[in-house]
Amino acid sequence: MRFDRANLALGLGCVALALLVALIWIPMDSTTGLIEKVRRRMTIGDALAPTLAAGFLLLGGMLLALAERPKTVRRLSLKNLAFLLMLIVILAVAFTLMRWLGPVLAGTLTEGGYRPLRDTVPWKYLGFLVGGTAMVAGLTALAERRMTWRGVLIGLAAALALIAVYDLPFDDLLLPPNGDV
Amino acid sequence: MKSIFKAALAALGLSAMAGGGLAADWTPPGPIKLMIAFRAGGGADTQARLIAEDLEAKTGWKFIPEQVTGKGGMNLAMAIKDEPNDGSVIGMVVTETLGYNMKVANAGVTPEDYTAITTTAGFQMGIVSTADKGWDSFDDMIAASKEAPLRFGVMSPKLADIAYLLGEAQNAQFNIVQVRGGKAVLNGVNAGDMDVGFMAGIQSKGVAAGDLVNLASALSEPLKQTPDAPTLADLGVPFDADGYFLMIGPGGMPTEARDALAAAIGEVITTDGMKSNGMINKAFGGAAVIAGDDAQALVEGSFAAAGQLLEAASE
Amino acid sequence: MGWLYYVWLGILAVFQGPELLTVFGLPIPMTLAMVAAGFLLGIAVGSTPGLAGPMAMAIALPILISVFGFSPDALLPVFGFLIGIMKGATLGGAVPAILFNTPGTPDAYMTTLDGYPMTQNGQAKKALRVAHFSSASGDTFSDIVLIVCAPFLAVLVERYLDLPEKTALLILSLAFIASVIGGSVGKGLISLGLGLIAAYVGTGEDFYPRLSLGTETLAQGFPIAAVVLGVLIVGEVFKSLEDLWTEARYRRTPQETPQSGDQSLHWADMRRLFPYVARSAVIGTMIGALPGIGSTLAATLGYTTGRARHAKSGASPRFGKGAAEGIAATEAANSSVSGANLIPVLSLGIPGNAAAVFLILAADTIGGFNPGPSVFRFTADTVNPELVIAFGLFTCMMIANLLNWTIGGAFMRSMGFMSRIPKQLLLPVVLLLTLSSIYVQETRMEAIWFTVGFGVLGYIMRRLGISPLPFVIAFILGGKLEETGRQAFAATGGDAFFLLNSPVAALFVALSAIVILLSLRKPKEHRS
Repeated sequence: MRFDRANLALGLGCVALALLVALIWIPMDSTTGLIEKVRRRMTIGDALAPTLAAGFLLLGGMLLALAERPKTVRRLSLKNLAFLLMLIVILAVAFTLMRWLGPVLAGTLTEGGYRPLRDTVPWKYLGFLVGGTAMVAGLTALAERRMTWRGVLIGLAAALALIAVYDLPFDDLLLPPNGDV
Repeated sequence: MKSIFKAALAALGLSAMAGGGLAADWTPPGPIKLMIAFRAGGGADTQARLIAEDLEAKTGWKFIPEQVTGKGGMNLAMAIKDEPNDGSVIGMVVTETLGYNMKVANAGVTPEDYTAITTTAGFQMGIVSTADKGWDSFDDMIAASKEAPLRFGVMSPKLADIAYLLGEAQNAQFNIVQVRGGKAVLNGVNAGDMDVGFMAGIQSKGVAAGDLVNLASALSEPLKQTPDAPTLADLGVPFDADGYFLMIGPGGMPTEARDALAAAIGEVITTDGMKSNGMINKAFGGAAVIAGDDAQALVEGSFAAAGQLLEAASE
Repeated sequence: MGWLYYVWLGILAVFQGPELLTVFGLPIPMTLAMVAAGFLLGIAVGSTPGLAGPMAMAIALPILISVFGFSPDALLPVFGFLIGIMKGATLGGAVPAILFNTPGTPDAYMTTLDGYPMTQNGQAKKALRVAHFSSASGDTFSDIVLIVCAPFLAVLVERYLDLPEKTALLILSLAFIASVIGGSVGKGLISLGLGLIAAYVGTGEDFYPRLSLGTETLAQGFPIAAVVLGVLIVGEVFKSLEDLWTEARYRRTPQETPQSGDQSLHWADMRRLFPYVARSAVIGTMIGALPGIGSTLAATLGYTTGRARHAKSGASPRFGKGAAEGIAATEAANSSVSGANLIPVLSLGIPGNAAAVFLILAADTIGGFNPGPSVFRFTADTVNPELVIAFGLFTCMMIANLLNWTIGGAFMRSMGFMSRIPKQLLLPVVLLLTLSSIYVQETRMEAIWFTVGFGVLGYIMRRLGISPLPFVIAFILGGKLEETGRQAFAATGGDAFFLLNSPVAALFVALSAIVILLSLRKPKEHRS
């Protein structure tokens, strides 16, 4: 059978990750060890379960690297990563609009800032409407490889529909970013 | 320390009444976020949500309940610490959170970093087994533990310490099993995974039906439901599991806001016909309101007292 | 109080629960209305390529919880709606498979093999009727098996398994799921390990939230909705978006073939199809009862078994050329998975597929119902409310089946137009909907970022051929595994070998190792 480098790399990567988690992260970032003595009895410490989990990861990685020889192999291509990057950039822009548009505008236009306004129309919808529309329009443009008015309109309609579903009927539900401010 | 608790208890009814008129003077700046330190659907969570519901109906204030669970309320304590202290963020925990748990967690905060608003109800904490075990009294259980170790279910580290001291005092063998929440102790005891356990009120229905038995009171006073059961002090343990559900806010909340909240909460939970009042009467044996400075003194006292229990249990 | 009394209470809980409205003096129970609404929505969702039942369940959940609140009264309407979606989507998946050669859900792939040829032969309506008949039969059979088996299994577990055995059983379930999902044990274990590590961030017994890197953000751990929706839904959306980006062209408008001839399903047809339906229903139910093996494998097995039998009989048309038997064998198999899949959920608390994950998520969010053996405690003097809910759940399933038999077929046949919704518009909207629903539950932007982060993880796992389902199931069971393990250790007085000292626990542990070793012997890479 064909020696397969993609699986070997994935397997070894997982082995390395498992060792990193088990030998560095867990000991540094939990206050009790594998087994602790509390009230003169042995009890299981906070590090045991995650170490066991890392053990599963280690075993999986080793099996993949050493024992398994599948016929077809999956790998991440540069094209995949490029797509992922574009996707994350679009989402980051949309989330930034969602989170900060209202507070920034309110901060420059009003005395008290956004917080007292977070429950008044139109302030409370501003970020969600613009950010949500940007997200849908951006992702549609990505999938179609061109910006269209159709994407923008669908995004706006979707954001409005979500406001109608979540905000209008329910007093105690918060749309972004009104729980953070 | 004890005297502070007693004084606080005496002030119970008074503070609720005294605050009655204040509610109108203060209105919250927008909706109030209510953090809840208990799992959704349990008795404690239901209580918090019903209080919010009653307050909305009564005062017109708006509440947004939100679960912030875990670490015996410490997750909530850490999350609420830096929220605005204008009364727009409050949280429901237990007195143990700001007492024993905050002491042990050693997370750089003390009860002074918080504003205790009011307690709502106390625990009817008993040591409970199923009736099938055939134990009629606490002594029967101790006798059984001498033959083979008993599994003792607890739901917090403080209770684990108390169970350990109880075993020492009675010369009994306990394997102490810590689980999450009173419901888990009840399930474990019912399923036979545990022989006996602490339950803070959840046992009342089963005890009334004769399926469960309150073998002892874990409080400083006898249980309302089973007044004949011995208390921890009777059994040679100089500590108790007294505790209350407690509404808190971030430190330095204006007295006006704190008292208005406390008064409004105290009023709904003690008024007949309110949903929270009915629920608290049924599940926790009635409301217990310790508000404002008295509540603050209560948690600061139990924070200071936590050291003694810790020391005794680690000897 | 006998079990019959509980069955009765469960039925009452559905019919005497809160009312939606009164029509001509006849009250319409809320739960009934929710089952019906969920069922119809499920058919529509299943008929839409790119949408699947779990997606609709995920998006519906926060809305449902806002409507019904966190009281135990909310459980049955919410479960009813989710169960409706689950059943409807299974049925709906056959629609685009038959009409346009595009499976609406992954498990309907085998349905295209004979369904689309039947459409090309002008027999589309008949093909849809065959699919409906087989799907409803398989589904009903599976539910009956669930209702009969789950209580007994639960009672056995509760009576004979102590804490060490329960711990070992969890280990066995996780090992089994990691081994059988997808084609590679190694990748299954990787998925499992990562899911467990994610579950252990911020949790633990000590007051310091472990693995939180000292940050407040991680101290509460990852919100369960962010992880489940991120890996299962957002990851899938990312992958599908990339597929569209790569194709970068519009999908062709599906061609319509003129339909002719006798479209109805006769008694003779049903008699002819019955052996195929029955065999596939048994196969699907058995596969469904094992956690982790999905309906896609059931469909494949059902189809191949049916093909072998059909070839022996020599009847025509052959499988692949438009044989109604092919549709029947596939649809009966994939539909009979869903009911049986709730056997491990209700009797052990172990979810076996994405739909079951969302039912557990609903129970966990609302509270007051903890799926697992303790549900089936037949108490003597007091009513066990969880048991009433369980029988109410069974009642909902039977109502959904009734709807399936009565109005399901006609509604399904009217859903052909759903295939025309362009995916490149649908998927971003689904993403916005998912992220908003997470925010509504968690009310912090961090939760949205977590969701996107787990979405990226889900995307990468899909691209590398690592099944995300072991990850999600491990995340859900991780806390339970650790807790049970700690309790078993404490209850046995600190016995380090508690997993090996009881024969049953030792057997479970040995079986875990055997399952992994056996699966290792035949490495195969599936289509994902």
